[in-house]
Amino acid sequence: MSAAHSQLQSLLPRESLLWIFAAQLVVLLPQFTHLPLWLVGAWCLAVYWRLEVFYGRREMPGRLVKLLAVTLAVAGLALTYRRWFALEPMVALLAVSFTLKNIELASRRDALLSLMLAYFLAATLFIFEQTIPYALYGIFSVVIITAALAAQQGRRSARPGRAFGLSAKLLAQAVPVMLLLFVVIPRLGPLWAVPQNAGGASTGISDSMSPGDFTRLSKSGKPALRITFDGPVPPPEQRYWRGLVYTHFDGRRWSEPGAGDGVVHWGRGRSGFHGGGGEDAQPLPAVGPRYRYQVIQEPSHSPWLFAMARPESDTRGVRKSGDDTLFYRSPLASRFAYEVRSWPRDSLPVDVGLGSRALQRHLQLPERGNARARRWGAELRARGLGAEQISAEVLKRFNSSFVYTLRPPPLGQDSVDEFLFSTQQGFCEHFASSYVFTMRAAGVPARVVAGYQGGEWVAREKYLLVRQYDAHAWAEIWLPERGWVRVDPTAAVAPQRIRDGLQSAAADEFMQDALLPLHKIAFLSRLQLQWDMINYRWYQTVVSFDQERQQGMLQRLLGEISPTRLALFIGAPVIAGLLLLWGWLKLSSRGPKLPVPGRLYLRFCRRMARVGLVRQPGETPGEFARRVEREFPRLGPMAERITSAYEKAAYGDDPRAERQLRRLLRGFWPLRIAR
Amino acid sequence: MSFSARWRRRWAPLQERWLRRRLPAASSVTLDHRKLFVLPTGVGLGFLLVIFLLWLLGTNYENNLVFALAFLLVGLFVVLPVHTFANLSGLRLRLMEAQTAFAGDYAQARIALERTGKRLHERVRIAWPPEEGVTVDLDDTSERIREITIALPVVCRGRVPAPRIRVESRFPLGLFKCWSWVDLDVTFLVYPQPKSAGPLPIGAAAGEGDQQQVSTAGGDDFAGLKNYQPGDSLRHVAWKQFAGGRDLYTKEYASGSDVRLWLDWDLLGGRDVETRLSNLCAWVLDAERAQIAYGLRLPGQTIAPGLGSAHRQQVLTQLALFPVLGMAGATQ
Repeated sequence: MSAAHSQLQSLLPRESLLWIFAAQLVVLLPQFTHLPLWLVGAWCLAVYWRLEVFYGRREMPGRLVKLLAVTLAVAGLALTYRRWFALEPMVALLAVSFTLKNIELASRRDALLSLMLAYFLAATLFIFEQTIPYALYGIFSVVIITAALAAQQGRRSARPGRAFGLSAKLLAQAVPVMLLLFVVIPRLGPLWAVPQNAGGASTGISDSMSPGDFTRLSKSGKPALRITFDGPVPPPEQRYWRGLVYTHFDGRRWSEPGAGDGVVHWGRGRSGFHGGGGEDAQPLPAVGPRYRYQVIQEPSHSPWLFAMARPESDTRGVRKSGDDTLFYRSPLASRFAYEVRSWPRDSLPVDVGLGSRALQRHLQLPERGNARARRWGAELRARGLGAEQISAEVLKRFNSSFVYTLRPPPLGQDSVDEFLFSTQQGFCEHFASSYVFTMRAAGVPARVVAGYQGGEWVAREKYLLVRQYDAHAWAEIWLPERGWVRVDPTAAVAPQRIRDGLQSAAADEFMQDALLPLHKIAFLSRLQLQWDMINYRWYQTVVSFDQERQQGMLQRLLGEISPTRLALFIGAPVIAGLLLLWGWLKLSSRGPKLPVPGRLYLRFCRRMARVGLVRQPGETPGEFARRVEREFPRLGPMAERITSAYEKAAYGDDPRAERQLRRLLRGFWPLRIAR
Repeated sequence: MSFSARWRRRWAPLQERWLRRRLPAASSVTLDHRKLFVLPTGVGLGFLLVIFLLWLLGTNYENNLVFALAFLLVGLFVVLPVHTFANLSGLRLRLMEAQTAFAGDYAQARIALERTGKRLHERVRIAWPPEEGVTVDLDDTSERIREITIALPVVCRGRVPAPRIRVESRFPLGLFKCWSWVDLDVTFLVYPQPKSAGPLPIGAAAGEGDQQQVSTAGGDDFAGLKNYQPGDSLRHVAWKQFAGGRDLYTKEYASGSDVRLWLDWDLLGGRDVETRLSNLCAWVLDAERAQIAYGLRLPGQTIAPGLGSAHRQQVLTQLALFPVLGMAGATQ
């Protein structure tokens, strides 16, 4: 065993091993964030063991140890992941097979297998992230894996600079093929259902709202949505991107129904929500939509989509809830683009009214607490005011003495009471929450809506950039004659928040907790915007390049998509490539370049060959000239002069003879003369 | 017989005929696109499988970056054969020498590898499969020619034409192999396999020759000095005289008994032809080692006694080329 072992070991030199480990490290490094820690440790241990084997300090692990390792790894996976049919366990499984392969990395075959696995693992990274930095990293890892592959060829190839350069050169040459295929190869769409990336904490707006949630969001300048419009762009005060509707309040936390109280009116499940199928079937109004737009949403790890009121979407997988919002069939693990049309309010028939169940839902209040707010609501109701007048009263109160601030004082048990009657300082969530509470207390059906408001218009690329700090909460009240109407209590206190965005509304406090107040440096924020524009382009051209865009692009390139043009489009580069190859073969199979007189003399020989007189191998020019004289007496003198000029030019190094040879050849056409 | 073996047996002559037309035997061969073949290796097929899996991954996740990666690898797969080919193209092989060998041993051929163009040639394996052969790197721009020696096991004596030499390279990534079957017209002169037939038959054939001459070596009695000739044993060189400024002389010895050694075919009666030749071969080697002048008697030909490498070669060649069943020479 030990002899065979040492022989196997000799098959994998140190350079090969190190390159394989480097490739594995490069591939695994970005995955370390979602791989369990023990797996990382196991990989390191396996690498260490294998290196120890290489240095002869340890034996290759025996059968028992390997069996134990496999058992441990499987047990570890089973304990870490309860669900098997998901993306992360699968990536972890690949990483485990990597690790286990390391401890039996003996032959060249094992090494190559490991590297093939590395290519695949490098690609799984893109399932998690499709941003530019990750794409660049992906390219880097492919270069490294290819270099590792080259390094398996021998010691010289394994030198770092050499392997790296070779790999980069080969991959650079592969790029044209990649571009062509990327544009041409049809996208079939999923062949079967695959596990989506379920991991990752949800970012942005969540399914419930308690004090402080939105303040937290206001600290993030990360992009949330990018919206392009096909047609008119809504004015700033109309840019309300609705995402979630909270109807249930437990005294502190607003949540969507079903999340807290178990009252399921519509759920996230496929069947649970009312109105889904029914309302979708409802014919669309005859009036056209007011806005048509495409939203590109950053991965939020939650299913909510964002749109203006009364949206419709034909994008696959997008559904509409009974609360007039859109959501996707699964949490968004990667950037997602969807088309939306939003209708103006008056184009829709006013609903028949709220059903008793819906009425009950939108008037729900916790059983206890916030007594003063309840009393105030009841009082407003007792004055016999209509819903709109009650709303105006509440807003008037907000307008009179309330302060809009990103750093409100903490609130206790009766949060609404404390905010309304003592602290009077708050953020959008406080205003929305207490507004809806009071309206419900006054008997007006109301709900909190969460989403984004505003956005920065990027004129160069013509899109609206909505960031996390644009997260906003507002309210909707039910008016029997008009249906659900948007009311934004924050606008009553800080109208500039709605008009100009958070940054101008809370200039002093804005992003104050950020590590570096980068947003205050104009140059840097411009740079940030530039970067976002690049990202947007990247997403538009590469990441979301689907069947539709593919057809559009081919249409633009080809004029029309017909089989002949398509064949030409694919065939032309292929033929060009083949021609190039052929020319190169021709050139490279030719021997070293002859000096000029020699080439001129060969031309003479070729012309003679055309009249049937081929110079024999070993025949000197003089002999050949005499043979020409014998066979074609009329060509004789000419051949004689050419030969002597050649000899002078070639051996006498006489430039005049070379010029003479050239001149003689110009007039030498044996086919014409011989006849 | 397994299917593959049967298939190979039927295929091999066809392949050989085709190769003969395409790659005729020549003592110097420059590899070019007419002589080289390129195909993916097993690993290359594995690579294709990875591409297919990536395509599935990209399709199911509708992930364009995975697609892009898959297509990049396709591109790599497209450009690789060109590089693998270029690595061998322009390499010239020239036969320097086909060394003699004994049957049952390895016959060695010295071959010169030469770069004809600017291109370098890396990881080039030259072998007579299934032998391992030699792996060469002609990767130094200053080095144009490299000499290598490859070996072929030979079984039969005679003039043995070597099979085609396989020149192969998997550079740069091992996903493709480029190869050629080169016939450098190598013919080995293979001596019979030496098989000992007991001690040298000294004096056994003495009666047959009646020349009285001093055999050039063997006895104990110093008989005089003669001029040194190449092939004379260095043990018998008169070093003392040489050190004294005189020319090289060989000391001649004579023994009282008749030491003319005839290695005679007829001494080995009752054995088959090949065994007899093997035994004679072993005797030749023994006699050379003992520095006893020996002659060879084969049916129809006689080589007068002598000693030295030229003599030895002459004798062994006779043994090697001894006709079998009336045919001159035997191939394997």
